[in-house]
Amino acid sequence: MRELQTWMHDAIVAPLPPPADDVARRILPSRTLAPNERLDIYRDMYAIRMEEALEVDYPAVAALLGHHDFHHLVHAYVQRHPSTSYTLNRLGDAFSQFIAETMPRRRALYDLARLELAMTQVFDEEESPLIDANAIAAVPAESVASMRLVPIRALRLLSFDYPANDLFQRFRDDEPMRTPRRKPTWLAIHRRDYSVMRLPLESRAFAMLELIHGGATLGAAVVEFASRFDGPPRQDELFAWFRDWTAAGLFTAIEIEGT
Amino acid sequence: MNRFGYPDLGIGLGLRTTHYSNILGNRPPVGWFEALSENYLDTGGRPAFVLDKIAEQYPVVLHGVSMSIGGTDPLDFDYLRKLKALAKRVNARWISDHLCWTGVAGRNAHDLLPLPYDEPTLRHCIERVRIISDFLEQPLVIENPSSYVEFAQTTMSEWEFIARLANEADCGLLLDVNNIYVSAFNHSFDANEYIDAMPEDRIVQIHLAGHTNHGTHIIDTHTGHVIDEVWSLYADACRRFGDVSTMVEWDADIPEFDVVFAEALKAAAYRSDVREVACA
Repeated sequence: MRELQTWMHDAIVAPLPPPADDVARRILPSRTLAPNERLDIYRDMYAIRMEEALEVDYPAVAALLGHHDFHHLVHAYVQRHPSTSYTLNRLGDAFSQFIAETMPRRRALYDLARLELAMTQVFDEEESPLIDANAIAAVPAESVASMRLVPIRALRLLSFDYPANDLFQRFRDDEPMRTPRRKPTWLAIHRRDYSVMRLPLESRAFAMLELIHGGATLGAAVVEFASRFDGPPRQDELFAWFRDWTAAGLFTAIEIEGT
Repeated sequence: MNRFGYPDLGIGLGLRTTHYSNILGNRPPVGWFEALSENYLDTGGRPAFVLDKIAEQYPVVLHGVSMSIGGTDPLDFDYLRKLKALAKRVNARWISDHLCWTGVAGRNAHDLLPLPYDEPTLRHCIERVRIISDFLEQPLVIENPSSYVEFAQTTMSEWEFIARLANEADCGLLLDVNNIYVSAFNHSFDANEYIDAMPEDRIVQIHLAGHTNHGTHIIDTHTGHVIDEVWSLYADACRRFGDVSTMVEWDADIPEFDVVFAEALKAAAYRSDVREVACA
């Protein structure tokens, strides 16, 4: 059994079919199909299944590349990264990295793939309860510096070399997909009421949110921020950021260090 | 009634993402829903939320594609643990999977791959079904496959293999009438002989579906309406097995909910007609 299954699996996933006489030793003909034609049904379905699965997770990448190039990229990818999970949901985990390795000049495509991977991860993350809109304001003044905001699990922060979110939006709007000019951008991807949301950020806000997401207290985050930007964030900036992030539902708890 | 006491839930439908809003919003009079296990095992997002809501309102059955009952890799107990927990959470009435293998050496083709029907393969499947049923603490329900190849080493018919598997592993059967039709066409056997050979007291569920006929072979695509010949086989199955929980699968080019629901109502009518004739 093991030998037959190993042979058949390899025959299905390999780029080229096995010799017809090899197939005929193991598989019977039907009244209409030769053994290798019967095996080809499984080979064809495997290729279609892999492509469909990755197109579900990476629809904008597929649109930017076009059918022909996406088809070839998928088949090269699954040769290098065959599924080892019981679920197809994990098939595309290494897809963006594969693009970076095999298409190093397609940085916009790589950014777009990272964005779409983050969206699928956020879609499936565990739900987290949210802090109240006034919870931060209720923290005593003497505890604010040692306050740690715990992010929801369904949050990913991404920095890009290209405007990946704009590109993704063009896909959503069914507009022509073209590789954009290089321009650094920052994005928070999160889930609210079971919907995946994309929140564009400017560089200073991204830096602060990334520090908090990494587990820094507000005091430590401000100190680190100041070292990167030649000064701490303005108070009105901080106020606006936390108001927006809390309203967006990015935090699940407030912890006070030392309590 | 099957020997396991699994209830007749009437006519059900496959739970599909595109129909979530319709089902939650309109609460259609469907007898039960069959959820694809793998879609709900590793998510804390909307699919899990919707399944929990639906399980509050309808009986739910879990139908999987990843047990690899005929596989030669070790059973995946991480998968089975998650499946068992999900079944408990949604009060699944039973758990089913396919007579097939899905991959080898840790690699998964994500297909329901066919087995040779011979004595060593039968013994192998019996042992694995018993282990799985013991682990899940309930009799597993096995679905007959659709297939496109026959192996030279096969020594018995598919229906003999399945009947013996069910009896010797003490499991239930999910009789996919469309799969019987598809395989009968592809392998030139008599679909009625297949149905007649099934052990009546082990039939827990019936599947119906559309398929794609390429002339030289049929692919089990689960798309389009159930064809007349499959309805006819379904009527035969109803006559032979009585009222069995029946479910319509529609997985590709999925239409509006009402179209799929109409197919379920057609199944209900067939079932009812057979019952009335039997009682007359």
